[in-house]
Amino acid sequence: MSTPTLPASKAVRAGSTTPARPRGAFRANVRLILRILAANPLTLVGFILVVIVSVTAFLIVAVPAVSTLLIGRAVSILPYPALDTAAFPANQAPSFAHLLGTDQAGTDVLSNVMAALPTDLGIGFSVAGVSLIIGGLLGLVAGFWDTPGTLSSVASIGILRITDIFLSFPTLVLALAITAAWGRGEVQSELAVIVTWWPFYVRLTRGEVLSIKVQPYVIAARAAGVSETTILFRHVVRNLLEPLAVYFSLDVGTVIVTYSTISYVGVGVPPSVPEWGNLMYQYQDLLLTQPWTVLSVTAAIFITVLAFSLLGDGLRDILDPRSRRIMATTTVASHSGEGT
Amino acid sequence: MGRSWSDLVVFILKRLVQLIPVLLGVIIITFFFTHIAVSNPCAIWSGPKASPSTIEACIRNNHFNDPLPVQFYYYIEGLLSGNWGVDPLFHLPVLPYLLTTFPETLELVLTATVMMIFVGIPLGVVAAASNGRIADHLVRIFYLSGWATPTYIAGVILAIGLGPLLGVTGGDFSTTSAPVPQITHMSVLDAIIALNPSATGDAIVHLLLPALALAFLNMGIATRMTRSSMLEILPLDFVKTAKMKGLGDFWVLYKHALRNALITTTTVLGVTAGTMVSGTVVIESIFKWPGIGLYAYDAITGYDFAGTIGVVIFFAIVVVVANMISDILYGILDPRVAWR
Amino acid sequence: MSLDLLPGRVVGIVGETGCGKSTLGHSIPRLLPEPPAKVKAGKIIFQGTDLLRLPKWRMPGIRGTGIGMIFQEPINSLNPAFRVGDQIAESVRIRKLRERGLMPGIKPEVKGFDYSKRELPKASDVVTGPFIPPNVSQTLKARGVPMTKEIHQEVLDFLRLVRINDPERIVSLFPHELSGGMRQRIMIAMALSGKPALLIADEPTSALDVTIQAQVLTLMKELMEEVRTSILFISHDLGVIAEMADELGVMYAGHLVEFGPVAEIFGSPRHPYTKALLRSIPNKYKDEGVLPSLSGSVPNLSHLPEGCTFHPRCPLARDVCKHKPEPPLAILPPGPQALLHKSACYFPEEVPSMP
Repeated sequence: MSTPTLPASKAVRAGSTTPARPRGAFRANVRLILRILAANPLTLVGFILVVIVSVTAFLIVAVPAVSTLLIGRAVSILPYPALDTAAFPANQAPSFAHLLGTDQAGTDVLSNVMAALPTDLGIGFSVAGVSLIIGGLLGLVAGFWDTPGTLSSVASIGILRITDIFLSFPTLVLALAITAAWGRGEVQSELAVIVTWWPFYVRLTRGEVLSIKVQPYVIAARAAGVSETTILFRHVVRNLLEPLAVYFSLDVGTVIVTYSTISYVGVGVPPSVPEWGNLMYQYQDLLLTQPWTVLSVTAAIFITVLAFSLLGDGLRDILDPRSRRIMATTTVASHSGEGT
Repeated sequence: MGRSWSDLVVFILKRLVQLIPVLLGVIIITFFFTHIAVSNPCAIWSGPKASPSTIEACIRNNHFNDPLPVQFYYYIEGLLSGNWGVDPLFHLPVLPYLLTTFPETLELVLTATVMMIFVGIPLGVVAAASNGRIADHLVRIFYLSGWATPTYIAGVILAIGLGPLLGVTGGDFSTTSAPVPQITHMSVLDAIIALNPSATGDAIVHLLLPALALAFLNMGIATRMTRSSMLEILPLDFVKTAKMKGLGDFWVLYKHALRNALITTTTVLGVTAGTMVSGTVVIESIFKWPGIGLYAYDAITGYDFAGTIGVVIFFAIVVVVANMISDILYGILDPRVAWR
Repeated sequence: MSLDLLPGRVVGIVGETGCGKSTLGHSIPRLLPEPPAKVKAGKIIFQGTDLLRLPKWRMPGIRGTGIGMIFQEPINSLNPAFRVGDQIAESVRIRKLRERGLMPGIKPEVKGFDYSKRELPKASDVVTGPFIPPNVSQTLKARGVPMTKEIHQEVLDFLRLVRINDPERIVSLFPHELSGGMRQRIMIAMALSGKPALLIADEPTSALDVTIQAQVLTLMKELMEEVRTSILFISHDLGVIAEMADELGVMYAGHLVEFGPVAEIFGSPRHPYTKALLRSIPNKYKDEGVLPSLSGSVPNLSHLPEGCTFHPRCPLARDVCKHKPEPPLAILPPGPQALLHKSACYFPEEVPSMP
């Protein structure tokens, strides 16, 4: 061998990279995340928006409930009751009394848009969450136990075939067909979206499991006699959490878009429920005459969905070790560039 | 090697054979969802004022008193012999109607795909090439807005907001000023075949906005995919090799780097096919575009089972064929991949 | 750091991993991504022009015919999506267009290349260019635009130059269908086909198997005889450098610490780091027990120690080395040694007797 790397120096370097104490590592992680957030202001914006949107949604639901318990009457943080027909003069432009104006039915636009927030956000979280659990479990099974010739491989092939069939349905069309058949209602339409939503999680989870399974550390663990259950939980599931978290945070926004579309075309929640797709349907013809109506709903959806996509994008940077390393090295490089 | 055109033919044939079980699954699922949810739609079809004898005849004609598997057998038998059922309102056969409306939708989808490819992909390249600078941020805002704007909102804003500028009122984009014989059922193509320049121009004007509304989200997806795969490709050595030949930046980016980045971007085609087909349902009902999406909406909300299943079959074929095309492109772009 | 490359000379650069050799190689043709990379000070004078002051859009004109480069990993340095023949042809076409003044850029130094000794290949019948109507093709020819056939001939020539026996077959293959050694030959052919005045070889053999490494090195050595071009040969392997280079520069932590003729540096190193590096090469013939080695590791380039960057690991270090600034690369007092032997050490005369 003619490599003149200095042997001892190599050994010393290897020795110096012993893992730091967990606490120090945690603090270093927090510092790294803060630095990434600072370097990527869009992620920070997304994070702050998600917090604001979630807290507002929580308050809209919680304040009336808590106040009913405490003082015996519901206090709402909405300026006016939502969808309270003919409470005000119709079609008023935004003013101090009505920050986003009133619509053709004489209701306060801001109250309507805000009242829809808990509905849509709740649907986003619940549909994405249930799909994550169903699809994640099926994907794990299909990915982990797919050794050919075993009984479990038959199950995993079955899961894959059924997933393929569901994936070749256009999501919206199937959801529409199901809601149309089951009738108009919040639970029915949520179930309809879940029916079309879980296959994406199966595909994602299975792909991740297949790539984790052949990683050297899994092979090494298996060679060292670690049991399959331990490998499953310590290595596979542990490494699945991060990509699933990223996908989930991006997905909440997508679900909201799909769900409001179903309501918009008239088969989702009943028109009496404040929901962004419903509102959009009622307001669409006012775009040129009373633009504040349409634009308020648009802005509400836009901000909510954007917040979740910005957060998801940023989470990917923070959680994906590869892109994280790139981020870290570029920040170091730019710092050292200033130093010299 | 092992990559010849005969391999490609075998590959396509194999994929077409695989289409059969998927279609069967799609038909079964749709059939049972619709028929279990609404076991006897005759009362709805015939209207409130129908006599019991009319309803009786309807039930008899449609075998609604038979057990579901028997009904399914009758349906499949009809399907294979080209009788896809009739719609309940006008008693017109479903299949010819699907065949005449499908090209209208195809025209819309293909135009949107062209927009996606020729706008979305170059934007992704621009963003990656100026990573971290103003142009990159602008492009990221563009694709995140595409992501955060539901298709129906883009449709409403373009149809009602911009429609009047093009002389289209009420969002009705179906009628053109100069009717031409319908040969292919694609408005632009028909106008060209009729050698009518003014009708051609008119048809293009009518096509652009709905196609843009349909493409907006997918352009964002294509931009995002291109940007991220370009960011992975650009630091690789062969990009430096291309630079070191003395090639200008344009050729390095668009010939050497993009060619490789496209390999991952093509996989997006299959994904976007699903969202586009879903989008047509919404877009066509907003723009009154006489395609299969509009028909799907009417069929689904009108409890037209034959129409619903027919539409779903067409949509599933589109999704599967789009996936096949993206696989073929993948094989053409990446010489390391064998067609399997 | 300062480094002169003379026409037709081979300068070797050696140093440990992470000492900045590759950064040096990449910074000359300005391949480092800007930003974040930025050359704060200094000059890169190439044929009388300071490359650092050249606007970015003029850099492509320097590359290819002015400066060529061979990279470390032959797996990554060829574009996986194109046939190797087409990739070389691209380089040949650029050079030909520049030779004829049809494309901006440095005209290649044709005199440096001598093919006269080599047997000219016979016209190949595999050439099928795109269909061009005769009159158009004649106009193009009259304007001096290189024709597909002409370029294809040269591609075959260059493949033969790197000792590929069946170029007609190889041109239509994709990179993944070739072995690592073959890919590196093609990379060399591609770099040479621009006929550059300066060729930068960034660890061209480090990623290859030992036997293939030997073959490629032999090839490069033979090519250096045939194609007299300046070469900057970067390697971590002292043995390879000894074979290839006329002059040798030793790098440590981003600085050139010693520079001089190869024989001179191997015979009497005048920097403690060079000496330690030389001593760590195992001797083939005798069992020396544990190899002498250097304690410590290369410092992080963003946190360099004060004073002489080598002092924490240097057996000769004393207070001066810690407090006085980095010693300059100074020409050694003329002695029995060379005319141009430079060392960046305060005590070069103590190195021969270093423990």
